[in-house]
Amino acid sequence: MKNLKSLLALLFAIALLAAACGSDDDAASDDASADDAAEASDDSSDDDAASDDEADEGDDDAMADDEGEADVDLSQGGDLTFHMITHSEDGPFWSVVKKGMDAACEDVDVSCVWMPGNNDPTQMVTDIQTAIGEGSSGIAASLPSPDQLIPELQKAVAEGIPVYTLNSGANDYGTIGATTHVGQSEDVAGEGAGLRFNDLGATKVLCGRQEQSNVGLEERCNGLKATFDGEVVDEFVGLDADQTEQINGVKAILEADPDIDGFLGVGPVIAMSGLQAATDLGRDLHIGGFDMTPELLDAIEAGDIAFTVDQQQYLQGYLPIILMYLEVTNQNQAGGGLPILTGPGFVTPDNAAAVKELSAAGTR
Amino acid sequence: MSDVSTVDASEQEARQSPSAVADGDERLAYRGVFTRLLVRPEIGATIAAMAIWVFFWAVSVPFGLASGAASVLDVASTLGIMAVAVSMLMIGGEFDLSSGAATGALGMITLLLVRDFTGEMGGAGFSLWIALPISFAFAIGLGWFNGTMVNRTSLPSFIVTLASFFILKGAKLGFSKLLVDQIQVGKMDDLALNADTRGGDKGYAFFQRLFAGEWVRNEHVWSGRDLLYTVATLAGICLIVLAVYEFRFARRQQMNAGGVIPFILGLAGLVAGQLYLHNTDDTTGNWIGSAIIAFSILLTGFGLALWRYEPLADRGSFNLDPSWLKWFGAGVAALVLSVIAARALDADNSDNIYLLFTEQGIRAILFISLAAAGAVMLLMAANIAGRSSQLMRSALLFDAAVATALMAFFIRSQSASPKFRSEVFSVMLVIAAVMVTWAAVTYIFRERREPDAQADAFAQRVLLVGMLSVIVGVGTRLLFTVQNEIDNGISRTVFSVRTLWFILFAAVCTWVLGRTPFGSWVFAVGGNKDAARQIGVPAGRTKTQLFMLVSVAAWLVGTLLAFRLNTIQASTGDGEEFEYIIAAVVGGTALTGGYGSTLGAAIGAVIMAMSFQGIPASRWNSDWRFVFLGVILLVAVIANNFIRSKAEASR
Repeated sequence: MKNLKSLLALLFAIALLAAACGSDDDAASDDASADDAAEASDDSSDDDAASDDEADEGDDDAMADDEGEADVDLSQGGDLTFHMITHSEDGPFWSVVKKGMDAACEDVDVSCVWMPGNNDPTQMVTDIQTAIGEGSSGIAASLPSPDQLIPELQKAVAEGIPVYTLNSGANDYGTIGATTHVGQSEDVAGEGAGLRFNDLGATKVLCGRQEQSNVGLEERCNGLKATFDGEVVDEFVGLDADQTEQINGVKAILEADPDIDGFLGVGPVIAMSGLQAATDLGRDLHIGGFDMTPELLDAIEAGDIAFTVDQQQYLQGYLPIILMYLEVTNQNQAGGGLPILTGPGFVTPDNAAAVKELSAAGTR
Repeated sequence: MSDVSTVDASEQEARQSPSAVADGDERLAYRGVFTRLLVRPEIGATIAAMAIWVFFWAVSVPFGLASGAASVLDVASTLGIMAVAVSMLMIGGEFDLSSGAATGALGMITLLLVRDFTGEMGGAGFSLWIALPISFAFAIGLGWFNGTMVNRTSLPSFIVTLASFFILKGAKLGFSKLLVDQIQVGKMDDLALNADTRGGDKGYAFFQRLFAGEWVRNEHVWSGRDLLYTVATLAGICLIVLAVYEFRFARRQQMNAGGVIPFILGLAGLVAGQLYLHNTDDTTGNWIGSAIIAFSILLTGFGLALWRYEPLADRGSFNLDPSWLKWFGAGVAALVLSVIAARALDADNSDNIYLLFTEQGIRAILFISLAAAGAVMLLMAANIAGRSSQLMRSALLFDAAVATALMAFFIRSQSASPKFRSEVFSVMLVIAAVMVTWAAVTYIFRERREPDAQADAFAQRVLLVGMLSVIVGVGTRLLFTVQNEIDNGISRTVFSVRTLWFILFAAVCTWVLGRTPFGSWVFAVGGNKDAARQIGVPAGRTKTQLFMLVSVAAWLVGTLLAFRLNTIQASTGDGEEFEYIIAAVVGGTALTGGYGSTLGAAIGAVIMAMSFQGIPASRWNSDWRFVFLGVILLVAVIANNFIRSKAEASR
């Protein structure tokens, strides 16, 4: 109840804010916000607990926000603020996503807020609430733990904020009411890897995981199972934090099963561990990896590793901003209800050198 | 104060004044060799390690091979160096939660120092000769910081080092992204690849050999391996037996030359039997080889005792005392039950033995645990009976030996696995033969119940030589291969110089802890810091030095990792600190401080490495991995505690 009231107060604030700004492209958001505000107040009128105090508070908030935004208006015309809420742990992967986001925001001249959640769903819930509270013009969120995040994002949709999911969330964007999903579906990426192993002529592939109970990693292995013609052994072999143990874990399985002639590491570090294990044992394996590090690209260029699956995460940062911008300013809705896939792209010995340069620039 | 040092002190006193026993001071009473051995903190871990090795050897093919041993040692080395240092710190009463993150951080510092940030590995980076001392200085500084903060603030080290952990974790990520724009720093071997353009490899070749040198077993073919292995191992075992005899039995005034002949004959039989067994593959051959070895063990053991020791005068009488009879009954019942269980459950599907949750797996677990429990109960019966009558002890030991032999034949007739049919069968027969020998020898010869400093010193030296000989034998087998194995297509096996670092580090720390004043101070400050300070121990300084030791160990491990992996991830080592603490605790180090052993921590690291390796090597489903790991560690710790409390109770 209390939440609803403070939301209502915030809605007034947003509506006022939107009304206060006079540029053309605001008409759309103004309408949307107004509609939503009307809806929301319909809801709340059923509840007879709305007190005067609350209403006063709402007014105060609105005024405070108004004053705050005035500064921004003076400095720049770009009055749209998009929020990107991810479960980023600041790895090499997410830094590229962030670069994509920064580039898009610069290209269309809007302000963007990067909210990395550090794999903590509670943090992400707070971030989403903050974004709604700040009157976001659009929210792009990744969905590592759908159950906690879906209700929050539904609230955003209910308030007329354009919502997009990125990276993970391909199965849930419909439930939320998000316009579309931008990302790679993990099983499709795994399926691509399976086809690669078929081409390479492998007969039995070990799908090595560096984490347990990570849905995305399991889906990669499941995708591999779906398209690969031979047999797949799917195992957790040790954490990235202790690579010695990881290498020897792969070695133990390779030793226990002499038929294995392929290795898919579902991350860049574990792919290198697989290469090291094969070298130690003197086994000739077809090795594939996921994502990229300089070492992995070097190994691909040298021909030691056959390929890596690249989900082109730059697009996952770039596209949602552009799509949100177009939805807000031009009422475009891309995707047609289907997700927009950013991958899988493959890095093989053929294109490794070119990708390496782009990767050094931080956009691959 | 530590148990270890009090034990040593009382031993020394006992040696100086044997008459003290006569005065009836119970603290100075002579304790048998087994009691003295079992109160050492690392013994429980050693027994657990052997049990776990045998277990995984039995259920998995690659684990028991040289390549399996290489993998276990590889994982154990870096873990063990840290566990040894951490156990010393824990004996000193403190924890270091930053030790895991420090390994990655210090390795990363070295890499950042040799790298050049402006270009791709250009020429501006430091030489390794400069970079390594600088990162070493960082390590000293980190330890000094942790120690000083703990001393000055009097906060629990848990909190202080937790802060250090977060600082290091953040700094690793922050600096690597700031300087290299990656969450990892590499690559060490670029120093060698681009040596020409830079005019020298900055010492890479030298340090690479020092920290990441490798010994490829497949390239070291030596036909004399099996001979040296057999001779060294058997000689070592004989020396260990001699040492046990010296500890246990009273020497004759005059040696009895009549014992030399059966002794020599037995030795010859042992070598012959072993070689015969090695060169035969059919079951009859195994049979004959085992029989020769069993008989030779009897002959050697008896001859040796006859040669050197005094006969027993009063052997006690036959009795049916209920105190041992109930254990005997329970033991026999357990053995019978194990046989029934093995017969009742299906034995057909032999290839499923590697999976635990099949009928085969349950059958194996039931059989082994019941049989082992039965054997232990029979031995307990013998032990209890032996307090009043040597005759009954020997008789019950003999019964246990017969039961072991029967079990060996039962396993041979029931098991489908060739491993069980040959190796397990022979080993069990050998154990039975040893038990019979022990029964006979303890029946005939007098157990020493008074201290004999000369015999003890001699036995200690012989024990050491014997253990070294066994290590040389096993080491030879691990390090060298023979043409036959190459022809059979064994996989490439690589041993690393890391293992030598591990052994060296553990040896130095064990020496420091056991034989220097600093070692005594460590026990003192861990037991009671204030009391230690009052008797003149520099408590604060000792603790700071212990923190420095841990960070120096982290520097060593970080350097080893940097040369091993070429790249250090920002996450390298995070969370590993708990594995170090666990390894130390599994090895018998107390969480409360003041008690523990560096040797035990090293063995604890090996136990953890075996568990990490054994589970995938046995092809158990990795989803259950941490369940297995938890059970194994729990069993190891409980066994360790049980053995120690038993041994302490029997003082």
